[in-house]
Amino acid sequence: MKNRIMAHMVAFYPSREKSLETARALIDGGCTYLEVQFPFSDPTADGPYIQEACKQALEKGFKISGGFELIGDIRTFSNIPIFIMCYANTIFYYGIEQFLECCVSGQVQGLIVPDLPVDYDEGLFEKSECRGLEPVPVIAQSTKPDRLDMILKGRSEFVYAAIRKGITGSFTDIGEENIQFLTKVDSFGKKILAGFGISEKHQIEAISSWIHAAVVGTAFIKEIIHSGKASIYNVIKKKIQSLI
Amino acid sequence: MDKIYNDFFGDFGGRYVAEVLRPALDELQDEWVDAMNSKDFRSELDLMLTRFAGRPTPLMYAENATRVLGGAKVFIKLEGLSNTGAHKINNVLGQALLAKRMGKRRIIAETGAGQHGVATASVCAKLGLECTVYMGEVDIKRQRPNVFWMELYGAKVVPVSGGQATLKDAVNEALRDWAGSFKDTHYLLGSALGPSPYPDMVREFQSVIGKEVQREIEQQKLDVEALVACVGGGSNAIGFFHPFIDTENPRLIGAEAGGKGKGVGEHASRMSGEGKLGIVHGYKSLFLLDEDGQVQPTHSISAGLDYPGIGPQLANLGIKGRVEFTRVMDSEALEAVQFFAKHEGLVFALEPAHAGAAAMKLAGELPQDKSIIVNMSGRGEKDLFILARSLDRQKWYSFLRSEVKGNEK
Ligand SMILES: Cc1ncc(COP(=O)(O)O)c(C=O)c1O
Repeated sequence: MKNRIMAHMVAFYPSREKSLETARALIDGGCTYLEVQFPFSDPTADGPYIQEACKQALEKGFKISGGFELIGDIRTFSNIPIFIMCYANTIFYYGIEQFLECCVSGQVQGLIVPDLPVDYDEGLFEKSECRGLEPVPVIAQSTKPDRLDMILKGRSEFVYAAIRKGITGSFTDIGEENIQFLTKVDSFGKKILAGFGISEKHQIEAISSWIHAAVVGTAFIKEIIHSGKASIYNVIKKKIQSLI
Repeated sequence: MDKIYNDFFGDFGGRYVAEVLRPALDELQDEWVDAMNSKDFRSELDLMLTRFAGRPTPLMYAENATRVLGGAKVFIKLEGLSNTGAHKINNVLGQALLAKRMGKRRIIAETGAGQHGVATASVCAKLGLECTVYMGEVDIKRQRPNVFWMELYGAKVVPVSGGQATLKDAVNEALRDWAGSFKDTHYLLGSALGPSPYPDMVREFQSVIGKEVQREIEQQKLDVEALVACVGGGSNAIGFFHPFIDTENPRLIGAEAGGKGKGVGEHASRMSGEGKLGIVHGYKSLFLLDEDGQVQPTHSISAGLDYPGIGPQLANLGIKGRVEFTRVMDSEALEAVQFFAKHEGLVFALEPAHAGAAAMKLAGELPQDKSIIVNMSGRGEKDLFILARSLDRQKWYSFLRSEVKGNEK
């Protein structure tokens, strides 16, 4: 069986056009889901690579409206399920309802907003669900059992499991602790999207029987940084193919 | 308001953090509330505040300043006399003792002006805790002396280059560290902001300022018209105002950084400027944001006021009208430093110099039988380089040149 990948990318990184090229490469390379991060000035849950990518994307003129236009451009050549990842302030300040309406028009499938947890969500979960959007709760290995129950008893089809402590980007050695955690989460019957620190196929294979898809992000940014004169399309496509 | 844990203040506050950090904050809330109910904890803290931090700090009648200003009596609460030179140590002692009680062995902190970092490094040295302080590269440049002190106390100072490389970015970096380290590490946040329970906890630990002032007012039977404090994140202000929040008087006045002007990136005035409701750094409050919700750059001559958000309780008190806010320019703060140095023999830190400047304006407008109290949240030694460069450039630069030459020989 092939590995399912939720491929993460930052809108407008390294530029608007090149982020479109990145999306195309990820899709052509065979990702199952596309996670498009809308950059924020203060990405507290991200490691240095995604931070830098967000900073550059903002310098390249990212605006929320531009992010939705980019998604519109992706829609001209692909029906891939798209999830938007953003920080609370991006959606809250724009207006949650308005933001969700843009998601509906852009045929976005769902949202991942790590700093709007279920009990401080500003209505995000309910407002998304009533529009047919999938709000994806994010859980961590440190999440206490009663809280896990509370989060996962919701209607959401997916759950995003951060399989390392801390932030995105650093390498995760898949160990007994990860497996125990995933087994526990698996018992709730949700589709598990597992991420934080995945860059190699062997990591995905170590957890593939518990998860629905592996989330890979920083690894692609590193490819872009090291691409030099090579085409971003080629390096990204090669990288994702190596994971599947 | 008698409850020590509120979470929200009107619309403001909350705990908007990623799930990874949730157990750390839940634990902190429980342990803090438990500690506050413990006589042992409170008496240990009181003892440290007295014997180590040097409390109580004096409330000084600024007689000469009063005469020159020709209006209300000006009193100054000398928080700058506490050990390490600012009010920051009140909160640091509280949280560091709490961290020990929770069995943590390592402390991380963010710092802007470096005063919170210095207080944290000092208390960690005293209590035998490992200490890492995150500090923006821009702030390291302008508050170099404090980096030296932190390192002398044995702390590790980590430069932060991301974002604007100032206080907000140091907060981001500390939060990232904590997400991976909270099992053995406490994040000792330095102002009355961030996800709950920090705004409540920091206020309670800083309220010692206001309680001492309240006792003095009663003993000296002062007719106090206003209390004036500078507001960065808001910890000195909320601690100073705390006992008076639910009463009608005195007026409570917060001085924000007016910087160089009203343009984007020229100031850090959220309440007297154009702060907008947002969710940043784990709490909902008023922030300086662009039309897309991105956090805007800020400026202040004082690193400690150079922050785009304001603590949630002060934001709420501002909206309700209980606290008035005013903006004070860089140049006015510099004038206030010189004024109080010449007339009162006190060098204000640049942060409370904003409060000093606001008080100078106000005093002249009030009758002589009224009093106003300024919180001098810190003393100005840390600002030597900025002050000397601004006030006596030539002599200072030639001194620096000769210092470098002399050492190269
Ligand atoms: C002396 C002094 N006063 C005030 C502040 C501003 O912080 P807050 O508003 O939390 O009191 C700082 C911050 O570094 C400071 O060093």
